[in-house]
Amino acid sequence: MAREFQRGHKAKISDLTAGTDLYVGVQIAGPGLTFDISCFGLDANEQLSDDRYFIFFNQPKSPEESIQQLGAQSGDTESFRVTLDRIPANIHRLSFTATIDGAGQMSQVGPGYIRIVAGGEEVVRYAFTGSEFTTERAVMLGDFYLKDVWRFAAVGQGFDGGLDALLKNFGGEVAEEQPAAQPQAAAPSFAPPPQAAQPAPSFGAPTAPSAPAPAPAPAQGFAPPPQPAPPQPAPQMYAAPTVAAPMAPPQSGPVPPTPPSPYGQPPQQPQFGQVPGQMPGQVPGQAQPPGGYGQPAPYGQPQGMPPGMPPGVPQGVPQGVPPGGAGLKAALQPYREAATGQRWTPQNQQLMRVELGMGGTPILARQGSMVMYQGKVDFSHKGAGFTGRIVGNATGQEMELMRCSGRGQVFLAENGAHLHPIELQGDGICVSAENVLAFDESLQYEVRRIEGHGIPGGALFTMQFQGTGTVVVKTHGIPVVLPVTPTTFADANAVVAWSSASQVILSSQVRLRRNAYPGHSGETVNLQFRGAPGNFIVVQPYEV
Amino acid sequence: MNQQLAGYAPTPIAARMENHGRAMLKVAMATGQDLYARTGSMVAYEGFIQYEPNPPAVRQIASQWVTGEGAPVMKCSGDGLLYLADYGADVVVINLNNDSLSVNGSNVLAFDAHLQWGVEKVKGMAKLAGQGLWNVEIAGTGWVALTSRGTPIVVECGRGEDETYVDPDALVAWSPNLKVKGKRSFKASALVGRGSGEAYQMAFSGEGIVVVQPSEDSTDRLRIRG
Repeated sequence: MAREFQRGHKAKISDLTAGTDLYVGVQIAGPGLTFDISCFGLDANEQLSDDRYFIFFNQPKSPEESIQQLGAQSGDTESFRVTLDRIPANIHRLSFTATIDGAGQMSQVGPGYIRIVAGGEEVVRYAFTGSEFTTERAVMLGDFYLKDVWRFAAVGQGFDGGLDALLKNFGGEVAEEQPAAQPQAAAPSFAPPPQAAQPAPSFGAPTAPSAPAPAPAPAQGFAPPPQPAPPQPAPQMYAAPTVAAPMAPPQSGPVPPTPPSPYGQPPQQPQFGQVPGQMPGQVPGQAQPPGGYGQPAPYGQPQGMPPGMPPGVPQGVPQGVPPGGAGLKAALQPYREAATGQRWTPQNQQLMRVELGMGGTPILARQGSMVMYQGKVDFSHKGAGFTGRIVGNATGQEMELMRCSGRGQVFLAENGAHLHPIELQGDGICVSAENVLAFDESLQYEVRRIEGHGIPGGALFTMQFQGTGTVVVKTHGIPVVLPVTPTTFADANAVVAWSSASQVILSSQVRLRRNAYPGHSGETVNLQFRGAPGNFIVVQPYEV
Repeated sequence: MNQQLAGYAPTPIAARMENHGRAMLKVAMATGQDLYARTGSMVAYEGFIQYEPNPPAVRQIASQWVTGEGAPVMKCSGDGLLYLADYGADVVVINLNNDSLSVNGSNVLAFDAHLQWGVEKVKGMAKLAGQGLWNVEIAGTGWVALTSRGTPIVVECGRGEDETYVDPDALVAWSPNLKVKGKRSFKASALVGRGSGEAYQMAFSGEGIVVVQPSEDSTDRLRIRG
């Protein structure tokens, strides 16, 4: 059950999987590009104080082998094995990065991902595409970081420089103090510098092959004016409260003391049924010795018992205490209401909380989408402006809205659909009427009708929103956001929203096409989108 | 083949009830520690477990439901591992520590038989068609598993004097010490067929928590199967 992370999401590893022996796979590719994917083991100050923990193609494992680079396999461009409980205490963060080797920029990158696999099961995936980046030449994909317990964050932070700029970011202080040492490092053919603290050959080696040319490398990465922008965002991101991590919502209020070992289990406990060498695609012969776990399996289970064996009739039912402690409050703690100072706050992927008192303007929401409210809230009927148009009630296209006004908090959800708040700041967006859940009344909206043969009901209704405010769009499943190119098509039933960056583009927005596929009646209507670069469409994996 | 599927093998037992993924509940059964589970929620079991539908004890406690069709819980006893699920709904495991909780009947998945429990109709509130909204009040120290369509949310009541209003279809559970009443929120405009679409709510006042699911799908799927 893989969880999809968006940029900025984070979660405890223990919430994702009980295992600590993790496989990290990175897929990144682009036409004509080659990538160096590396892992930086950073200390508490986010510095690469020990460069034996810079895991890259020339140094494929850390000294105690808690981090190993495994190479391309199972569809991943690069893969690592990370054994969290063997990572030394001075390493507080593992940052996985990809840098372009040679010419190119991140915007050319196709869809890629970083994922974590534990015991053969993918537990989390953060997918990205080149459209999220521009001229960057490196990207920090995701971090494991130690904050009481190990956590994973989807970072997706681009860097203008290449690998050298990243190195400078992580070891900035070292580099500035030793401007002279760096040229040495860039020339690995010389004798290694005598400083024991700086095993330069391992450092210098990546600089040479990965930087486009040795000459610009020092200028770009080690010049006295440091690039101030890249180092800043990352720490900020962790300092800020969690925004919308699906499993670990911001825990306001008292947090029960987290036991140091998640799930109250011995920290080095093997996952059940994990036979040595079972990790997906692990290099044969590298099978970890069972003793690596260092502890006998719990409940007297023979070690390395193949999966599928009955886990044994439990020898007495353990009445263990769940993570977070016993009691009703603790069990429900992960689901607690998350109040932030914002008007629209996603509580989880499927629930939106609106603070009506903030901003003062009422909201309009789809009828029946209110699951709960607190305070003095007034609900009244509001048509969506479909009246006066030829709308058959039977087509199900008519949309009824309700106006929620007053003061208090309203919680909106509908059938467990995923909700996405879209904040408009003077720009415009068109949303298929079926996918509108709620929006600020301060937004101007207009109902448009796209006629076409073959659309159920004869026409597709869209709502164009403009102004400043928030629109909540619901999708069935995780949507895809595509940039508008000259050849962007979408099924009229699956398209959720598209940007209307300017009126001009909107007027040329959609052209209806009828495509008849072999074996198909030709009933499907595809929409073609045209627009200036920077426009996008949102498509859901569900054809209503 | 085994390798790809190996990740789905059960984790070692650490507690009486655990989640296996989002939607499946794993219960470690032992003699003398019986369990009540929703009829039809069993998806797999290992070991020696016996099921007793419509047990006499339930008939006594839950006389309100039993209207000829039998109580929707079964008693499970024996030794082994029991896996329960409700059509892919999220499962929330709660370890009660001398707490009490009222759970909407269709959101109960399983609970320890030694807990004190009772069934009652929600006062002042008759759900629209057919069956009234019945709920199970569970108290004591032990394990309870709830289901929720989508990730639930827990809201604290009793901040200020404002009441909390919940769509009955989205309600999962609440603290029994809360005061509950039904509320009809229709106005003059609703009488001409133009309501806000939210005709009935349940109003909670007092100090406690309310658990709500992000869906108004309250269909009792297990019941349909009979």
